[in-house]
Amino acid sequence: MQANTMKLLVVEDEPKAAAYLRKGLSEEGYVVEVAHSGVDGLHMASVNEYDLVILDWMLPGIDGLALLAALRHTRSVPVLMLTARGQIEDRVRGLQGGADDYLVKPFAFSELVARIQVLLRRASGSRNAAEATQFRVADLDVDLARRKATRGGQRLDLTPKEFSLLALLLRRQGHVLSRTEIAAQVWDMNFDSETNVVEVAVRRLRSKLDQPFERPLLHTVRGVGYVLEERAA
Amino acid sequence: MTTPATLPSLRGRLSRHFALQSMLGLGLVCGAVYFVIALTLSNRQDETLQQKRATVMRLLSEARDAHDVPAIKHMLSDFLTGHDDLSVVVRQSNGEAIFARNTAGELGAKTKRLAFVVALPAEIGDVGRAELIYDTSKDEALLTRLWWTLLTAAMVGSLAVSALGFLLVKKGLAPLDALASQTAQLDARRLDQRLDASGQPQEVQPLLLQFNALLDRLQVAYAQMEAFNADVAHELNNPLSILIGSCEVALRRERSTAELHDVLSSNLEDLRRIAAIVADMLFLSHAERGVPARRSAPMSLADLATEVIEYHEAALEEADLRVEIRGDACMAVDTGLVRRALSNLFGNAARYAERGSMIGVRIDRTDDGHVAIGVHNKGSLIPQEHLPRLFDRFYRVDPARSNASSNHGLGLAIVAAIAKMHGGTASADSSEAGSCIQFTLRDVQPAVPCELVSPQSAGADQPW
Repeated sequence: MQANTMKLLVVEDEPKAAAYLRKGLSEEGYVVEVAHSGVDGLHMASVNEYDLVILDWMLPGIDGLALLAALRHTRSVPVLMLTARGQIEDRVRGLQGGADDYLVKPFAFSELVARIQVLLRRASGSRNAAEATQFRVADLDVDLARRKATRGGQRLDLTPKEFSLLALLLRRQGHVLSRTEIAAQVWDMNFDSETNVVEVAVRRLRSKLDQPFERPLLHTVRGVGYVLEERAA
Repeated sequence: MTTPATLPSLRGRLSRHFALQSMLGLGLVCGAVYFVIALTLSNRQDETLQQKRATVMRLLSEARDAHDVPAIKHMLSDFLTGHDDLSVVVRQSNGEAIFARNTAGELGAKTKRLAFVVALPAEIGDVGRAELIYDTSKDEALLTRLWWTLLTAAMVGSLAVSALGFLLVKKGLAPLDALASQTAQLDARRLDQRLDASGQPQEVQPLLLQFNALLDRLQVAYAQMEAFNADVAHELNNPLSILIGSCEVALRRERSTAELHDVLSSNLEDLRRIAAIVADMLFLSHAERGVPARRSAPMSLADLATEVIEYHEAALEEADLRVEIRGDACMAVDTGLVRRALSNLFGNAARYAERGSMIGVRIDRTDDGHVAIGVHNKGSLIPQEHLPRLFDRFYRVDPARSNASSNHGLGLAIVAAIAKMHGGTASADSSEAGSCIQFTLRDVQPAVPCELVSPQSAGADQPW
C-alpha cells in the first residue's frame, strides 16, 4: 500500500478531535492537513488536490452537508462523513448528498482507518484487481478458494463461520478489527451487541489456530479488538 | 399562550334560553285563553241576536193581528227598554222605516247585525224586513283589555323566570369557581396534591375523578423519570469514577511505557462501555419518540432467527446450549432491528439458561394481526413482581449481577422498544420450568405463506 503518498484533508472544528485525527492518521502514513471551519475546508478542498476528505457534519458557519454540495460542483474527491449518533435520517441525506461513506461518532479509530483504506482503494481502481485468495503468515497457509487452512502442514478443522472470521483477519492482517466490525463482516449483524459472542467466537478460533502451536498469531488488543499478525517472540 | 375560542357564558346562555322558553310557553297559554274567550263572546253575541230575533218575530206576528202600527212601535219600544246595546230597524217592503231606534249612529263602532223577514199588518204591505243591530263594543273592549293583560303577564313572567334562572345557574356553578381556585393552588413541585371533590355537584364528579387520576399517573411517571435519571447517572458514574481514578493514579508517579499502555487499554474498555450505554440510550430515545420501523420486503422470521443463532453459535456451544425453533411467519420487518432484538434475547437466554439445556424459540401468528416471537430458557424462577419491570431501562432482578461489563441492563428495554417500533409489545413469563420473554410485531400486510417468499439466507451478501 502506498499510504505514504496519500494526502488527506480533515475538516473538523473541535481542536482535540482534529489533533488526534492528525496524529493518528499521520502515524498511519498519510499526509494530513486540517481545516478548522467549513469555509476553510471548502477553500482548501477546492484549491488543493486531496486523495480523501474527512468531513465533520456539524461545523460552524457552513455545515458539512452544505460544504459537500458546494464541493461536488468542482471535485469528485472521495468524502468520508462523520455524523453524530442517532441521526439516521441524516446519514441517508449525507449519502444522497454525495458522501462516499459515513461513520457514526463515537467511532473506533481502527474503524476509521479501515474505511479510509477501502475508499482509497476504491478510488485508485485497485478494487477491481483480483484479490488474493492465498495467504501465508508464518507457518499458516490459507487457501480461500478451496476453503482450506493448514498450520505447520497440519489441517485446521474450522466451522464455516470460523473460516470466514479467519479470512477477514487475514485480508486485513496487521490491522486491528473491532468486535462491531467483525460482527458486521462475518455475521451481517450491524449493531453493537451487549453480548460477548464475538469474544467467544475468537476464543474458539484461537483454540484451533494458536493453542496447539508455539507462536500465537491471533492477538487481542485490549479495548480495541483483534489483529492477526506474526509478532517477534 | 393563546386563548382558545370559547363558548359564550353558560349563565347568559341558560338565562336567555329560560326567557325564550317561558315566553314561548306563556305565549301559548295566553293565546289559548284569549282565543277561547273571544270565541265564547262571539257565540254569546250570536245567541243573543237569535233570541232577540225570535222575540221580535213573535211580537210582530202578535201585533199584526192588532193592525196597529203605533201599537207595534210601542211594543218594540217596550222590548228595547233596558237594552242599550241593541237596536231594531223595521222597514216596509218599499224600504220605508216604520220603526228605528238606537240606530247605528247611537251605538258603538263595532256592531253585529242580523236581518230577517217579518210579518207586518196588511195595510203596510204584509211583509217587511227587520234588522237587529247588536253593539259589541263592550266585548271588544274587554278583549282588548284581556290582550294587553295577558301580553304583559307573559313578558313579566318570562323576565322573572329568566332572572331566576340566571340566579339558579349562578348558584349551581358557584362550586366551579371554588374548583378553579383549588386548581390554581396546585403546586407543580408538589405532586401529591389532589382536588377535593366534596361539595361539588354530581355532574362534575367524573371530571374531578379523571383529573385526580391524571395527577396520579403524572406522579408515577415523574417518579419513574427521576429514578431513571438517577439510574443513568449511576450507570455512567461507575465507569467514570474508574477512569478518573486510574488516570490520576497513573499520573502520580513515573510509569513505564508498559504500565501506561495497560492503563490506557483499561480506560479504553471503560470508555467503550460508556459509549455503548450512550448509544443505546440514544437508540431508546429515538424509539420513544414513536419513530416507526423501516420495514423491508416480507421474509421468514425463522430464517432471521437462524441467522442470529448462527451469530451466537460459539457462545451457545460453550454453554452447551441447543436452540430449537418452532413455527414460522413471513412478514415485513426492519430486519436489522429484529435481528438486534433476537440477539438480545438469545444473549439473555444464554446468560440465564441451565447448562446443557434447550432454548426454545416460538414464532406464532396471533389473532389480532400480530406475530409473537418468544424465547424460552430453562432456569431459575423470576419472581412475579419483577416480570413487568424487566423491560425498564437498567432494571436488574439481581443487582449483584450487574457488574458484568457486557451487560448494562438495556438489552430488554431495547427489545421492548423494537417491538413498539413495529406496533407490538414485549412481555415476560416465568415458572419453575423456566422463563419466556416474548415480543410481538404487528403485520402491516396480509399474511404471506413462507413458501412464496424468496429465501434471504444468512451470508448471501457476504463478500466471500
